[in-house]
Amino acid sequence: MANITVFLCRCFGEIDNAIDFDLLRKELSKDTSVSSVSIVDSLCLEADIEKAASQIKETKADRVLIAACPTLSRGNLPVDGLIKEGIERHKIDLVDIREGCAWIHGNDPEGAVKKAKDLINMGLAALQHKEASKDMRVSVHPDALIIGAGPAGLAAATSLAKTGFKVNILERASAPGGMLRLISQLYPTGEDAADKLNPYIDEVENNHLITFYPQSKISSIEGCIGNFTVQFSSQGEDNSIQSGIIIIATGAKIFFPTGLYRYGEIRNVITQMEIERQFLKGSFDAKKPVFIQCAGARDKERPYCSTICCPASLKNAMRLAGENPGSEVFILHRGIMTPGNVLEKYYRDALSMGIQFICFEEEKPPMIMGNDRVEHVEVYDAVNGITRKIETDLVVLSTPLVPNDDSVRLAQMLGIEVDRYGFFSESYPMHPLETKMDGVFICGSARWPVASDQAILQGRAAAMKAVSYLRQREIAASTLSRVPGPKSGHARVVPDSCTGCGNCVAACPFEACHLEKLEDRHISKVDMMRCKACGNCVSVCPNGSMQIPEHNYRMVGEMIKRAF
Amino acid sequence: MVVAVWSGKLIMLEKTKNIAKQILEEKKANGVLGLMKNQRDIVQPHVFKRLPELDALVLEPKWLLAKLSMSILRSSPEGYRLAVLCRGCDERALIELTKRNQIEKENLLTIGIACSQEQAAICLCDRPYPAKVDAGEIASGVDPFQDERVREFLIGNDKKRMEKWANVLKRCIKCYGCRNSCPICVCEPCKLEDDVWVQRGDVPAEMATFHLIRAFHLSDTCVACGACQEACPVNIPLLYLQLSMRKTLKEKYGYEAGLDPEKKSPILSDFLKEPETGREYPEWINSLREKDGH
Amino acid sequence: MNQPRILIFACKWCGLIGADAAGKKRASLPARFRVIPVECAALVEPDAILRALAGGIDGVAVLGCHSGGCRYNNANHASIKRFELLKDLLDTTGIGGERLLLSFGTAHEYHQFEEIIENFFNELAALPPLDPWLSPFGVVS
Repeated sequence: MANITVFLCRCFGEIDNAIDFDLLRKELSKDTSVSSVSIVDSLCLEADIEKAASQIKETKADRVLIAACPTLSRGNLPVDGLIKEGIERHKIDLVDIREGCAWIHGNDPEGAVKKAKDLINMGLAALQHKEASKDMRVSVHPDALIIGAGPAGLAAATSLAKTGFKVNILERASAPGGMLRLISQLYPTGEDAADKLNPYIDEVENNHLITFYPQSKISSIEGCIGNFTVQFSSQGEDNSIQSGIIIIATGAKIFFPTGLYRYGEIRNVITQMEIERQFLKGSFDAKKPVFIQCAGARDKERPYCSTICCPASLKNAMRLAGENPGSEVFILHRGIMTPGNVLEKYYRDALSMGIQFICFEEEKPPMIMGNDRVEHVEVYDAVNGITRKIETDLVVLSTPLVPNDDSVRLAQMLGIEVDRYGFFSESYPMHPLETKMDGVFICGSARWPVASDQAILQGRAAAMKAVSYLRQREIAASTLSRVPGPKSGHARVVPDSCTGCGNCVAACPFEACHLEKLEDRHISKVDMMRCKACGNCVSVCPNGSMQIPEHNYRMVGEMIKRAF
Repeated sequence: MVVAVWSGKLIMLEKTKNIAKQILEEKKANGVLGLMKNQRDIVQPHVFKRLPELDALVLEPKWLLAKLSMSILRSSPEGYRLAVLCRGCDERALIELTKRNQIEKENLLTIGIACSQEQAAICLCDRPYPAKVDAGEIASGVDPFQDERVREFLIGNDKKRMEKWANVLKRCIKCYGCRNSCPICVCEPCKLEDDVWVQRGDVPAEMATFHLIRAFHLSDTCVACGACQEACPVNIPLLYLQLSMRKTLKEKYGYEAGLDPEKKSPILSDFLKEPETGREYPEWINSLREKDGH
Repeated sequence: MNQPRILIFACKWCGLIGADAAGKKRASLPARFRVIPVECAALVEPDAILRALAGGIDGVAVLGCHSGGCRYNNANHASIKRFELLKDLLDTTGIGGERLLLSFGTAHEYHQFEEIIENFFNELAALPPLDPWLSPFGVVS
């Protein structure tokens, strides 16, 4: 038989006018599961909590029901206080009789007291059926793994090394640097890309905490936060490393606009990356260059804006204009995207340099004219409503960044998500750079196209997020929650009744369930490190074999029965 | 005309027997599960193992063998393969059971039989044939929503319909026949036997729980075989409960239970992502977004 | 006049906040609703809703978070399809899908909570009572 102590809080008489406490006490003492009822003036002050705790110990009650104000007011204080005093979480229940009864039904005391009685009754039912979830702990391997050595990966690696953690970097190419190695200058500062990159490369080469694996290819990733095991090959040699966290900084790739604007068919139609390559060799001679924005972007197939192409075009247009005096530079665009004061000024600078901007419409893209080489571009100027013919000797196409081909494969290995285009996606609006797999972080253009400075910032941010896990010796599954405070529990399978239908596996938004084959049937297993106790599995389980002990079906069913 | 129907049925039977014979001869399976008419003219399911037995094979009446196949396969030694004579609904039930890991598909062989037009009309079946038809002519499907008996229970004034259903369901003697005969219901224990959900000992059963929980649990797996209804000793039209849920799944999510062994039920996935991304909330979700204009 | 009773499953991260705020503001709602806090709308089993209706509760409201605002990786949206089918079933039997209210992200402020629940009370009052389903006269062992 349950032995529940009930505390009824008057809130210093604040709710006396709506709730008849003596009546409540009289009703409650009839309940055989209740051992004692105390009416108190307050429960949220330290002295009150101590007093309550000693009273609970004296009466040897095994469960405690507090009827007071809700968690969002001060109801959390007695609950947390009693937990500190050594009472387990699942043995305490809080019922809201102030906001939910006395205040909202202040003009109906009869209804309010009836509701309070019902709510307390429901709380008593909950207390009698609540159970505690199991927890598990994983010891943390203190090394970090970073996939990709572009600006984001390098920034993450150096930040982690600075804080004293050992870092392994896996890179597909033979040298670090990523896309920055293909670029000559950075917008909007005009800084040489090499100047930005070199300190990082030096650090990677010289810091004994950083190990760089060039030409690597990942074959499998297993484990969970605290202890990932990664099988890979580097320069043809098979290898395996362990790490506590993984930062994905695989970047993105450039879209090749084959077939667009006669690219590949006619000379002098090139992409931004090709002009960068020319700049790396030296200056570039073009008297009448025309830049075409959104080549392969913001269309049906890729409706997104790649964000870096407009500033990049401005940069290269200004450079061409500066290096070739008397040149006439055009940028054909569908709206220049230069958010923020710095980039907007950059745009104004380009305007004042005499660069001409023509806005075209998606339905009427510019036409490349000429037989062997481009001679002029015909474009419908959407602002002035006229078709213009621009003489030119060079057409530069601004193409978007697109996800790497193997991003989906990597995502599947880690059990994380990619968005509809294939970029890695964050699963939470409130948890930037984190994925639905704890301990796996994403940064840089692998997440969304960004310029190098932002990639670096994100890399550092991801590193700092990673540190908060790496510095722990052990991680308890219950702390890996996505909400304030610990998790509310873990889903638990009743193996005897589980039919192995796999509904929970399909429904889990965190890929925490998987099927295990027994001799004659399958049963579901829950990975506590991944489970966040959302309860989706509970709702799709056909026979209640999946339960969250803190919110099990007996408790809910009993609460519903006692609701009125 | 009668002769033509008969000869059609005979051809179908012979064809089926030949396929079964071939399976047994080539040892593609250890046994063929079908119906046998014994010496006393009683039809019963039987696993045919030897060729001479096949003379007694019959195809009528409609008899769902899915659950039986599952039990046979479960109690058989490893590597045992079973061929099953199945109609459309039976095949779909087998696929659903396979999807739910109750049967291993490597151990199962199906011989698909198309139902006759009369049978389709009796069952109000919209798909009276298996995906793989080995014998019989494909009959056209029946739209249950056009049937007057169904419309009475599904369409019209809410209050009257509520009473109509209540009157029918009140006949329930809680024999659990609907659950036991269902080819998909395999849970042990079952929620219908749990006091939390359904008050035990109450006859007739608590209506909103017993019948609706059962119906809802089959929302995305019901293959509309009608076994529940046929088993019901008090003639409750239990199949009608499933029809509108099946319709919604088909029309809105392009999903029919038991058709594609690889396709997961849509109710297991995120509304905004499946079947396609970028979907809007359905109208019935009370959201003030529209009202507020943001 | 009907006096409908409502059971509310409120997600801790939005609906419950709205309910609290409505209390703090002393919004005036009939004392005929009860709130069961849940971690996520996904945790509300359709069976629990049927259980509530069978127990004589006239309507059940499930309050969850906005699109993209779910703390559990959009687990709340998985429940939409389940409830869609449940509504179909309730419509089939004449109980009426209107007795199940699903609202996403619109109850985290007191005026929205108040408006939603008040409307729900009014809608339920207009529905025929569930009586035919509740009195399974006959043998009770």
